[in-house]
Amino acid sequence: MPRIDLPQGTLDLLILRTLALEPQHGWAISERIQQISSDVLRVQQGSLYPALHRLERRGWIKARWGTSENNRRAKYYELTKTGRRQLEVEKDAWDKLTAAVAQVLGTA
Amino acid sequence: MFKDLRVRLRALFRRKSVEAELDDELRFHLDQQVEKYVRGGLSREEAQRRTRVEFGGYEQVKEEYRDASGVSGIETLTRNIRYGLRALRSNPGFSTVAILTLALGIGANTAIFSVIDSVLLRPLPYSDPNKLVMVWENSPGRNPHNTVAPPDFLDWGQRNAVFSGMAGLFDQRANLTGNGQPQEVVLQDVTANFFFILGVNPILGTGFTTENDQPGHDDVLVLSYGFWREHYGGDFSIIGKTITLDGHPLIVVGVAPEGFDWFIKDSSLTGAKPQMWTPWIIPKAFYDRKNVGRFMTVVARLKPAATVQQARVQMNTIAAQIALEYPDFNGNWGANVVPVREQISGDLRPALQILFGAVGFVLLIACANVSSLLLARAAAREREMAIRTAVGASRWRIAFQLLTESVLLAVIGGSIGVALAIWGTNALLAASPRNLLDLRSVSMDMRILGFAAGSTLLAGLIFGFLPSFISAHSSVAETLKEGGRGSSAGKGRGMARSAFVVLQMCLALVLLAGSGLLIRSFIRLVGVDPGFDASHVLTFKVTLPGLKYGSDAKRQAFFQELLSRLSRLPGVRSVTMNSFPPFTGLGAATGVRLLSQPPRSLKDLPVAEVRVVGPNYFSTMGIPLRANRAFNEEELAQARHVAMINQAFADKYLSGVNPLGQKAVIYMKSNDESEKTPSEIIGVAGDVRQMGLGTPSEPTVYWPHPELVYSEMTIVVRTSTDPLALVSAARNELQKMDPEQPMAAVATMEQLLGDSLAGSRFTMLLLAIFAAIALVLASVGIYGVIAYGVTQRTQEFGIRIALGAEDHDLLRLVLGQGGRLVLLGVGLGVILALMLGKFLATLLYGISPTDPLTFGAVALLLAFVALAACYLPARRATRVDPVETLRYE
Repeated sequence: MPRIDLPQGTLDLLILRTLALEPQHGWAISERIQQISSDVLRVQQGSLYPALHRLERRGWIKARWGTSENNRRAKYYELTKTGRRQLEVEKDAWDKLTAAVAQVLGTA
Repeated sequence: MFKDLRVRLRALFRRKSVEAELDDELRFHLDQQVEKYVRGGLSREEAQRRTRVEFGGYEQVKEEYRDASGVSGIETLTRNIRYGLRALRSNPGFSTVAILTLALGIGANTAIFSVIDSVLLRPLPYSDPNKLVMVWENSPGRNPHNTVAPPDFLDWGQRNAVFSGMAGLFDQRANLTGNGQPQEVVLQDVTANFFFILGVNPILGTGFTTENDQPGHDDVLVLSYGFWREHYGGDFSIIGKTITLDGHPLIVVGVAPEGFDWFIKDSSLTGAKPQMWTPWIIPKAFYDRKNVGRFMTVVARLKPAATVQQARVQMNTIAAQIALEYPDFNGNWGANVVPVREQISGDLRPALQILFGAVGFVLLIACANVSSLLLARAAAREREMAIRTAVGASRWRIAFQLLTESVLLAVIGGSIGVALAIWGTNALLAASPRNLLDLRSVSMDMRILGFAAGSTLLAGLIFGFLPSFISAHSSVAETLKEGGRGSSAGKGRGMARSAFVVLQMCLALVLLAGSGLLIRSFIRLVGVDPGFDASHVLTFKVTLPGLKYGSDAKRQAFFQELLSRLSRLPGVRSVTMNSFPPFTGLGAATGVRLLSQPPRSLKDLPVAEVRVVGPNYFSTMGIPLRANRAFNEEELAQARHVAMINQAFADKYLSGVNPLGQKAVIYMKSNDESEKTPSEIIGVAGDVRQMGLGTPSEPTVYWPHPELVYSEMTIVVRTSTDPLALVSAARNELQKMDPEQPMAAVATMEQLLGDSLAGSRFTMLLLAIFAAIALVLASVGIYGVIAYGVTQRTQEFGIRIALGAEDHDLLRLVLGQGGRLVLLGVGLGVILALMLGKFLATLLYGISPTDPLTFGAVALLLAFVALAACYLPARRATRVDPVETLRYE
């Protein structure tokens, strides 16, 4: 099955959604997105870290250093309260957008 | 928001640890990915390779991360500056040339701007100065800034509705006694509202009040700040004290603020700045136009709603009415309204504007030079830039880096430039003629530093833009492939540098043409015969106070005695005097009626300058006689109603007629008195340049002293040795006759002549300096371009030599390349210079602004110097060792 590059602006939403389950480090986030989407969505690894940093600056996620499953020092990101609110907002917007797009495609 | 700031600050101040953390995080990510592939069955090498490919450029991710971190603006800047400084240090030759070039350009600009600022831009020391205007009388064919007659001033004041007030004044010299040595001071007699109109309040005392324009209340005085400090030690108790001027006791009622003076060159009768002011009540006799001439300066304040244009219209209407009412006195006379700022800067404006344009050109040439240097360097750094791009630096970032380096260069150059400007401004003032620039008022301040900073930044952006732009648009792959040679960017740079050379040549030619014209004009000017022999002549002014020397007889006797005492001094060859000697500014002039000619109304009479002279005037001054004789002893002792005229008078008013024996009424006294005693013309003297070498002689009438016994005369002493060595002996003689009598305006005739040329010399000198700088910079510019071209083509030259090319073939090849640029630049420069010539026209004497000789000479000069600059690298091309270069590859 061919992979799809993420459309502009959806990476933030996916990161927030992934972190809503539990704190994760960067690699795990990209893996998780890929897994959950059944390998359809591929995160450009080059754009993951700038995105994480952007979200951190906005205060939607925060980072702390922890230890990974294989006992290495890794940077873990978790959702903040505002991040959780933002996730709802973005999810809502996304639903509306996809519904609208689907409607247009359905009737056309 | 707060969070954002914290992240930014952390990133900024703990940059090292942030970088390290980012490294850790990314490495962890890569390791995880490799592990994943290994678990999937790949070999470790293959897993690593795949991970790297998938991840993309590691550095690129870091760059993007930094961009996202938001500190990159500040951080990049500091890093760029650090990097830029390192780059400058690593190439000291380039940096020195670039910085010095910029320092010269920016320094010259700032120095000239500081003068322009003080003369043309800075607010005048009067309240709301834009509402202040001069009002002059004018008449076709005369000075448009003619002084004003008191009755006209009074009528204007009554009839106008545009001014909230008008003040009138005139200046004179007066003898100050009772304060040590007697001293001659410059006094302005002003209507009592003078300070009120200008909106200036004394720093001490009350100044003049409305009461001071009443007879009996006018014996008061306001001192200038400078005079008060210098002669009364800044004594605060001066108010209420009495000062004696020409024997009149006057009470000090004020001290004017520092920096305040009122000096209008066009109307000054003393040619000097005032040191004190006293109220002047216009005498009743002056209300009658029969008794008075035009001698006042008039300044007026516009009503808040009135404009200069409205004032012009209304004053013209009023002047036209007055001309109808008093046709004899006012026919042909109008009124001329001039804003005070325009009046004060009028003489200097054209010269300063041209100089400012010239330094602007110099700065542009400097910018082109540095830009060209940067382009050459950018080519050398092309691989470096390509590699940076390949490892993830964005084009914008590289352009920004280069631009930072340019601005850095500009800032260093600009700082040195400001130091140069401070030194240069002082040099400028030291070299500038007296009375041309106001020494006090030119100073470095925030405005000027702001200008310097602005021009620095602008220069940095101008010369940095093109190199950055070209570098940012070069193709990475191509550059790396071709080893930096022959790439599209390389071609772009070559074109740009050639264009810069053409631009520099063009601008340098304009400056050279301008200075060439000024130099030729100055040589013409200096070559003009003043009409007399200026060497070995001492002049000084003696003004007898009216109270002590009330009668004509007393004054005449005093001057006769003085001249005879001076003539007996050792080293004196002869002595005479003149009311208004040459090169000391305006003199008296009046209407002259020749009795042999049909009668005309007063206003249509021919106008002549009037000079009152002492014995042996013409022989002492070395003025040749053109017809008959000079005044004899009898005529010099008593009024015999005789006059001499100059050649210009004879040519203009008595063309084809024998002037000798003609009788002329010279209206220098009241009309009745003048008409009763017409003067007989007994001789014709050669013309003398009165107002400066560049101004032709006006028709002039000479009277012996007894005809009109002036109290203010300039003594003229011809000496056999250094004239200045005689000053103390002459003062001695003067004070033996009257210990209270000062000696003023001491100068040799050569100094006066020099002063009259100083303005032209100053402009010429500055423009010549700028042109020389331009010539050097442009030569350096073309040298750089040609030398760079030769270095790049070393291989080609090697092959040519190997194939049998002779030295002269290679010289021709290289010089031909330079010659085309020079020719194009010079050609464009000539066109531009011809177009700009009209701005120079007002400054030129006896030469056309399109003078072909000058243009030819400067074009040759520039071409020669530029080709000489090309010759050096061309020689290098002939010395290329073919074996060496081919092996090199």
